[in-house]
Amino acid sequence: MTTSPADRLTADHIYATGLRNQWHPVVPSRFVAPGAMRKVTVLGEQWLLFRRSDSTLSMLADRCPHRGAPLSLGKHLGDRVACWYHGLEIETDGTVSSVPGLPGCNLEGKKLVRSLPVREVGGAVLAYFGDDEHPEPAPLTLPEPLTDPDTDSFLCYAEWNGPWRYAVENLLDPMHGAFLHHESHTMFDGDTTAKFRIRETDRGYFFEKTDQRGVNFDWVELCRTGVDWVDLSIPYPPSAGPGGPFGIVGMVCPVDENRTGVFFWRYRKVEGWQRDSWRFLYRTLIEKRHWAVLEQDRVMLEAMPADADQRENLYQHDLGVVRLRRMYRAEAEAQAAAPAH
Amino acid sequence: MTTDWPYLDVHQSRTHEPTPYEYRLASALEEVFTHEGHELADIVRGLNARQVHSPDGAPWTERSFRDEINRLGA
Repeated sequence: MTTSPADRLTADHIYATGLRNQWHPVVPSRFVAPGAMRKVTVLGEQWLLFRRSDSTLSMLADRCPHRGAPLSLGKHLGDRVACWYHGLEIETDGTVSSVPGLPGCNLEGKKLVRSLPVREVGGAVLAYFGDDEHPEPAPLTLPEPLTDPDTDSFLCYAEWNGPWRYAVENLLDPMHGAFLHHESHTMFDGDTTAKFRIRETDRGYFFEKTDQRGVNFDWVELCRTGVDWVDLSIPYPPSAGPGGPFGIVGMVCPVDENRTGVFFWRYRKVEGWQRDSWRFLYRTLIEKRHWAVLEQDRVMLEAMPADADQRENLYQHDLGVVRLRRMYRAEAEAQAAAPAH
Repeated sequence: MTTDWPYLDVHQSRTHEPTPYEYRLASALEEVFTHEGHELADIVRGLNARQVHSPDGAPWTERSFRDEINRLGA
């Protein structure tokens, strides 16, 4: 994306479509098979994921530099994509390698298509969305539950019709567990009244109950480590076997103003036969129960009115949400106001 | 792989629909974990008491359970 000073993004647009200059999850890795392409929308923009047969993945703006046709309608040529409209061939770094209708054309050899740094983590594609002033990818520290060899996880990905912020706010609002998820396999227990506090960390903050832990959805940590993610833990009933509670690493993809991709890695610190037992039970019986809980969130968030966050009466349980909004809003303002070169 | 919006797939961890044997074993395991304990000895005793046997029909041993759950859960 080339933004000139005249078409800089506004703070409202950034707040609505996702912060720039950080990593965001895009789609599960398995959505792009070796030798395949996939069109995706992220931060309100159109992109093409392109995977070579050796599994190398690249992410290009879905726009031919010639006339603007979507490259996603084009052909996968192994290490390039050919635009369907006039056959321009684009390499994985965005360089025009060939203009077949006019060999020697001055577009050849120029890097005219934006390409984003990508990483694949825990079965998901992450990409760095820098603006013109911040093209180099921000340092990325991955969530420990996804890198710890003694912790096992399954990724659940789902697409919700609603603003990305509501999905993050939902995770910074542990008290909804005791009500919305009361009839669930994991969050049936614990007090329905609580006091909360915010505890700062060097990478974000905890929002946690002061008087109950390990019973329901009692705490959450917001972590900003190049990508925004949350960590939380919820007890399993005895039927889930040995290994204690399960955790969730949650990330959110701002697709556009009204669509969100949610990434939930359910993880558990288990090894050996205990790990195998959990994985077997998860696939056979537990995954479906987790899904039912997630659907409760989706039904509620998709039914929220468009002005939900404009007309509220907040109370002490909403401190975690208020802090989140202030942080994101301030960052959106700063990104919109940054001087253009 | 579908590109239709929205993607809402209940089962994302499976490679196949569980067989009747796998469903029976999973349900029995949950019962054992709930009522008898979380140790290997509890599992072997609990599954054998429920006559939910290994695929070759033999009663479970700790070894055969480890092998089978590794095959099913790896």
